[in-house]
Amino acid sequence: MATVAETPAVERNYLNQGEGILSWLFTLDHKRIAILYLVSVTMFFFLGGLFALLMRLELLAPRAWLFNPEDYNKLFSMHGIIMVWFFLIPSIPTTLGNFFIPMMIGAKDLAFPKLNLLSWYIFMFGGLVTVFALIRGGVDTGWTFYTPLSTTYLNTYVTAAAAGVFIAGFSSILTGLNFIATIHGMRAPGMTWFRLPMFIWTHYATSLVLVLATPVLAVTLLMMGVERVFHVGIFDPALGGDPVLFQHMFWFYSHPAVYIMVLPGMAVISEIIPTFSRKPLFGYDFVAYASMAIAAIGFLVWGHHMFVAGLSVYSAMAFSFLSYLVAVPSAIKVFNWSATMYKGAISWDTPMLYAIGFLGLFTIGGMTGLFLAALGIDVHVTDTYFVIAHFHYIMVGGTVMAFLGGIHYFWPKITGRLYPEGLARLSALIVFVGFNLTFFPQFVLGYLGMPRRYAAYPAEFQMLNVLSTAGASILGVGYIFPLCYLLWSWKYGKKAGPNPWRATGLEWTTASPPPKDNFEVSPVVDGPPYDFGRMREELHLG
Amino acid sequence: MAEPLALILREQFHEPSQQRETATLGMWIFISTEIMLFGGLFLAFTVYRMYYPRAFIAGSADMNIALGATNTAALICSSFTMALGVHSAEIGSRRFLNLFLALTMVLGAVFLGIKFTEYYLHYLDHRVPGPGFFFAGADASKAEMFFLLYFIMTGLHALHMFVGEGILFSMILRNRAGSFSAEYHTPVVLAGLYWHFVDVIWVFLFAIFYIEGLHLHKW
Amino acid sequence: MAQPVVSRKTYALTFGTLLGLTALTTGLGFIDMGTLNTGVAVGLAGVKACLIAGFFMHGFYESRTIRIAMIAGVVWFLFMISLTLVDYISRFW
Repeated sequence: MATVAETPAVERNYLNQGEGILSWLFTLDHKRIAILYLVSVTMFFFLGGLFALLMRLELLAPRAWLFNPEDYNKLFSMHGIIMVWFFLIPSIPTTLGNFFIPMMIGAKDLAFPKLNLLSWYIFMFGGLVTVFALIRGGVDTGWTFYTPLSTTYLNTYVTAAAAGVFIAGFSSILTGLNFIATIHGMRAPGMTWFRLPMFIWTHYATSLVLVLATPVLAVTLLMMGVERVFHVGIFDPALGGDPVLFQHMFWFYSHPAVYIMVLPGMAVISEIIPTFSRKPLFGYDFVAYASMAIAAIGFLVWGHHMFVAGLSVYSAMAFSFLSYLVAVPSAIKVFNWSATMYKGAISWDTPMLYAIGFLGLFTIGGMTGLFLAALGIDVHVTDTYFVIAHFHYIMVGGTVMAFLGGIHYFWPKITGRLYPEGLARLSALIVFVGFNLTFFPQFVLGYLGMPRRYAAYPAEFQMLNVLSTAGASILGVGYIFPLCYLLWSWKYGKKAGPNPWRATGLEWTTASPPPKDNFEVSPVVDGPPYDFGRMREELHLG
Repeated sequence: MAEPLALILREQFHEPSQQRETATLGMWIFISTEIMLFGGLFLAFTVYRMYYPRAFIAGSADMNIALGATNTAALICSSFTMALGVHSAEIGSRRFLNLFLALTMVLGAVFLGIKFTEYYLHYLDHRVPGPGFFFAGADASKAEMFFLLYFIMTGLHALHMFVGEGILFSMILRNRAGSFSAEYHTPVVLAGLYWHFVDVIWVFLFAIFYIEGLHLHKW
Repeated sequence: MAQPVVSRKTYALTFGTLLGLTALTTGLGFIDMGTLNTGVAVGLAGVKACLIAGFFMHGFYESRTIRIAMIAGVVWFLFMISLTLVDYISRFW
């Protein structure tokens, strides 16, 4: 007869309920699908990173020494395509979003679990087609596929690469659709809209962008493919077509796409900062409205990628003004995160280190975006390393830092294990130093006039390029450490309890790792989010 | 005969009305994505129509209004039969649901038959863009743009029609297997939404391709 | 649940109106109205679309959330087309 003090040898949770590879490949459990995605996006991250490494090695010397220019074109194209569509866009939503959206709202799963699994298979199929294009020789149009270069003048695997991206787009659409329907329809009793964790609001905003923008990418790539394959000319001036129309349509998607990439990062930050400041998120309503504003206004600024492409000057002025406007809600969020920390009880655990890194680096990235939104400055720095530095500050300094912060924050819940804190803090520091050393010199290079997408450059730029490459190797080390110690901790890490960070939120009330149905008892919500005051009371009384 | 509740309520939902409303919302979100998908093509058409009005109107005058109008009527009839099908499902009348689904499929097939006949006639007249294209008139190359957009947009629409036929067929099969009742027929409603949406797209395609140049049409 | 959302009579009236509007669109198309032709054709198409969306697709009978989902796609399409046209219209000013 078991005594009261005896605990079961192995608790039933989503990881061990269902054995064998088939139970994973045919799972409908959002948590397992999140893990499938985590494995996929990690592989694509390191593949895209490999291309970055090769590019930085090439750029150590002013002449094209390691690769010829045509092959260098393939490197930056594949780096961009893989990082944008197969890492940044899916990363946080399909891993942390899939895992935690149902848990944070008190649901058993997403609204459409089968669509969720289908979405992963579509993603992998798209990835396969793109990797096929890569192996067969790659594409060299840049990730932007501009016509008429892509449709008329190149012999590389443009159609295959575009097809891979086209296919992966449907995966994005299904994920966004699933999230919107889930957040509307599956909230636990008492979970009103303004009691939702900010992670949910921000992913909702992201999902709106996913469903409304991605179809335009699909139709643009379709038209480009038709032009290329059938030798007809929608964007071909010889037939009366306009190459700038391609750019309008491409950027109508691709600008909102950058908000698809950064909003989920902001979602993670909105969870980490309150927990490690022991304070509710400051200005909750404003942060929620700001997220929606970023999503909406983000659709109206795409022309700022085309200032020198031949837009009318009146249209350029309109886009410039709107681009300034879209910075406002982002700034509101940065102020509110900072105000959350003010007079809080700050702890410097790894997730918080990444979050604070995000705050600084995202701010620099965002502010340099305003430089670029000014027509006069843009004429000089467009298509230079200034732009590259700007978007890497946001994508890497922002999104990737937030992704790492989120992975560390939620790791105990996902795996039931704690990662080694000392090593993790060191890695965060290495990432921060490596990142800045890689990309800050690129602002200077761009301002001095070094163009982007060039394998060779004037000799006077070499010093800054060498610094940047040195930084990139440090950054690479910084990324490999977490890969190693996180995998190690899954098997050998200290066991985590349900709530190692003493955070608020429904996801922390259940076991680590969670049971298959997320909650033993369906939760009912009766108070606001981030209620650390109540938590303190309950801990004192309990 | 109503299906037992447990068989049709998926485990992530608490109750049937939640499942139904969430599924309907999901379908409408999907329809919004389709609006943006076709929207890109309508955008391209608008830009070029604005820049080459004479060529586009000449191209439109060249279209076969009899076939186009018949197709429009066929799709509107099919939307009517689809709506009646949904109504039959709502009152639990499985036999009429079968009938109306089948009628809708037939009308859809009529549409597709006429469409491909039209494509063949265009081919015979050298209206297919590419090396074989020929169009008499001053703005031949700009007219080629009109026909290019015509083939892409109506082609994408026809692809959606094929998918719709497949969806209707699967609804007929499921109905015959007894899956639907007055209490549970959400897939039929969703199929209806899809079908009506494809009809709405055609209504706009008819207007921009067939009607615009009709006043110059030569019989 | 056993109550149909929309009556057969409403469907029939909608159907008749749609066929009538199609005939009207076609008839008006034969008349040369200059620049108005496009507006009339697309406008009538819009009316037909509203009838299909409102009655056949139950748009007039659904919850506010669903109605917003319906309209969002159209509004976003209008954003896309209007802001792009700002460029094309003003290019030669």
